[in-house]
Amino acid sequence: MTVTPFERSLFDRVRLHVLPTKRFKTFAISLYAGVPLAEDTVTATALTPFVLRRGTSSTPETIAFRERLDNMYGAGFGFDIYKRGDSQIVQFRLDVIHDQFVSSSASLLQSALQLLGEVLTSPAQDSQGALRAKYVAAEKTTLKQRLEAIINDKIRYAAERCVEEMCADEPFRFHALGQISDLASIDEKSLYEAYQQWLNQACFDLYIVGDTSLAEVQAIAEKAFRTGGGKPGSYVRSSGERKVTNVKTVIEKMDVNQGKLNMGLRTNTGYADDDYAAMLMYNGILGGYPHSKLFMNVREKASLAYYAASRLDGIKGLCTIQSGIEIANFDRASEIIRQQLDSMRAGELSELEMNQTKAMILNHLRELQDSAFEMIAYDFNSILTGRVRSNTELMSDIQAITPQAIVNAAHKVELDTIYFLRDQKEA
Amino acid sequence: MQQLNYPHVNETLHYEVMPSGLQVYILPKEGFQKTYATFSTRFGSIDNSFSIGDGTVNHVLDGIAHFLEHKMFEEPTGDIFATFASQGASANAFTSFDRTVYLFSATEQIPENLRTLLDFVQHPYFTDENVNKEKGIIEQEINMYKDNPDWRVYTGLIDALYHKHPVHIDIAGSVESIMQIDKESLYTCYNTFYHPSNMILFVVGGIDPEQVMKLVRENQEQKNFEELGEIKRYFEAEPASVKMKKKHAVLPVSLPKCLIGIKDKQLAEQPDELQRRDIVTKLMLDAIFAPSTVLYQSLYDDQLISDSFGYEFNSGSGYAFSIIGGETRSPDELLSRIQRAVNGMLEQGIDSDVFERTRRKRIGGYLRMLNSPESIANEFTRHKFRGGDLFDLLSIYETISLEEVNARLRSHFDWEQTAVSIVSKEQE
Repeated sequence: MTVTPFERSLFDRVRLHVLPTKRFKTFAISLYAGVPLAEDTVTATALTPFVLRRGTSSTPETIAFRERLDNMYGAGFGFDIYKRGDSQIVQFRLDVIHDQFVSSSASLLQSALQLLGEVLTSPAQDSQGALRAKYVAAEKTTLKQRLEAIINDKIRYAAERCVEEMCADEPFRFHALGQISDLASIDEKSLYEAYQQWLNQACFDLYIVGDTSLAEVQAIAEKAFRTGGGKPGSYVRSSGERKVTNVKTVIEKMDVNQGKLNMGLRTNTGYADDDYAAMLMYNGILGGYPHSKLFMNVREKASLAYYAASRLDGIKGLCTIQSGIEIANFDRASEIIRQQLDSMRAGELSELEMNQTKAMILNHLRELQDSAFEMIAYDFNSILTGRVRSNTELMSDIQAITPQAIVNAAHKVELDTIYFLRDQKEA
Repeated sequence: MQQLNYPHVNETLHYEVMPSGLQVYILPKEGFQKTYATFSTRFGSIDNSFSIGDGTVNHVLDGIAHFLEHKMFEEPTGDIFATFASQGASANAFTSFDRTVYLFSATEQIPENLRTLLDFVQHPYFTDENVNKEKGIIEQEINMYKDNPDWRVYTGLIDALYHKHPVHIDIAGSVESIMQIDKESLYTCYNTFYHPSNMILFVVGGIDPEQVMKLVRENQEQKNFEELGEIKRYFEAEPASVKMKKKHAVLPVSLPKCLIGIKDKQLAEQPDELQRRDIVTKLMLDAIFAPSTVLYQSLYDDQLISDSFGYEFNSGSGYAFSIIGGETRSPDELLSRIQRAVNGMLEQGIDSDVFERTRRKRIGGYLRMLNSPESIANEFTRHKFRGGDLFDLLSIYETISLEEVNARLRSHFDWEQTAVSIVSKEQE
């Protein structure tokens, strides 16, 4: 099986990555802008895309701006803010249909890139040196509410609290959306300054997947983006490794029906490392799938939970476990989960578990190619970590993994934090 | 095997009905690595009263369709997830109001995975022991949803809208109802609704339709299906009115969540009428409430809505309602502002520019959806069970008129027919 690689180029400070393909009915466009995750910029950086999505210099009114998207056959436009290692990444996404299916006068790809370029580098302003005050005020409220709403979804809340406790003295403790306490001091002028600084410092990667060519995209994008001259930035690899001295246990009380038992582990292995594939296998056997140890033992054998799973953050080097249990079963569930960690270290890995997990990971890596945005996200890992590893290469790494390699990986994994969200009753 | 061509969306569907009545649809997608297959039965949480032929009427416990879905994955040889995993497939299932869907996605061993899908769904294995074991797991699933404010506000609203219709019952049932489920009742449901004549297989991906159809034929030929009489579903007569105007639940949330429901008095009956009514209603809601509208922006400016604001129209046998809302600082103010704005629209009608732009946007959204094998399979089956065709949507969009949308606006928005559901951290 051959994988069509991205074709690459540069303009100004933007790395351009284009994958020409006729497989989709759309053009998928993704722009990543990353800066180091830092206390003094995290909130302003998070607020920036909220304000930028309200309008541009040519369509400053939000209604007009959104009508523009609707007129492009309902272009899907959105953004995300997340942490990758010690970087804070803003991602803008645009998805527009290919002109062949509709009677459109202007090229939708061109309109889309034009719009994205404006969003990024030509925002709506009240005056020079300030963003639109009305938008900044409204989006501060939106961001504040978004941060306050984290508590609403207890599964997500528990997962984030676990990581926050675990990384209490690292930049990774910050939420990608920033801190409520910073918001009060931000106004349209200070945010404009922060935005300018962000624009000058961020690493930019622009991805396009669809029925186009590198030359076509480059010609349009060069005109649409005004990021200024200079060289593209590069991401700094996070330090990652840490020795755990003692396991931290945090119990938090709230009005909940179900307890959320989460654990945070340090893998001491990252995406750039040679044993990354072994760590993927470790996570897969431990808790990545319905055939994994956590699901089989916590749910199927003990009937203690509806969900019990683990997730690997290969960029930061964390493995996190999450489960929803009857509150009274905390000790029993913790014990069963810790037994699974022991069993991984002891090399209790059946041939069946090996084969199943390999098959699942390989399937996932093949499936990536059916989704434009997933191909983009996969490729972006190499930009983030400096480790170029195609999915076919990772697939052959996975195929070659031995039980011993997984045991070696298991010995690098350290339990760091146990977090339990429970009801208000006395224990 | 028949071919259905849809040149305007560049798709060709292959179709055959097996002697047992099973409908099989295959959609080849050139260049795709993945094959995605759904095996769906028209059996959901609302089907709690039924008979076969002229037999006796069965009343079954709340949550049984969902319980059955959980139990299908167990075979005498073990858990079927393990079999799929060994074959590199990721499998799953879900139960909705009116159907249960079993699915897998895989890039290799497609014949093996297809056979596994067909075989496990066509082979029930329920014992007293394995049925009892599942109760603890489902209890935790129900408890998980109890803590989920979005789910609570949503199900609370449907409960406020409907007196009798089982759509108001939680899909998973209650802890009390599932504790009473036994293997006999599971077999009764299975033997009725999992008959192939009540099911659709949909396979989409980088596949050869001839080969896949041959495999399905051969697999089905090895199995015996006795003819099943017509399945009759019984629904108690549902009053036109809403059950209660307001429903409230207390959960630790940052801001109140508020949904407004509008219950249709008149229900569409004919399949083509149904599909068109759905599309027209969705377009109408979009024209009023989308983020590009004046109403949305004014509500947002006044902090009455956030990005969580949304709206949908949902319908099935004996029910049709729309839901509008999200987080808000003031449910009362949100409700009165929406009422005022919609009343204005009822007088003036929807603007023709807005209508055209919305139509265009929805066509784009529809075409984008066709990139996703998962969406195609699920949406196609959903439409098919109701007698519609997913691939007709483009032509429906093209022929909808503004007058039609305005007429629908006037028939749908009747403030007598509304209810409100709120989840907030304090008692009112």
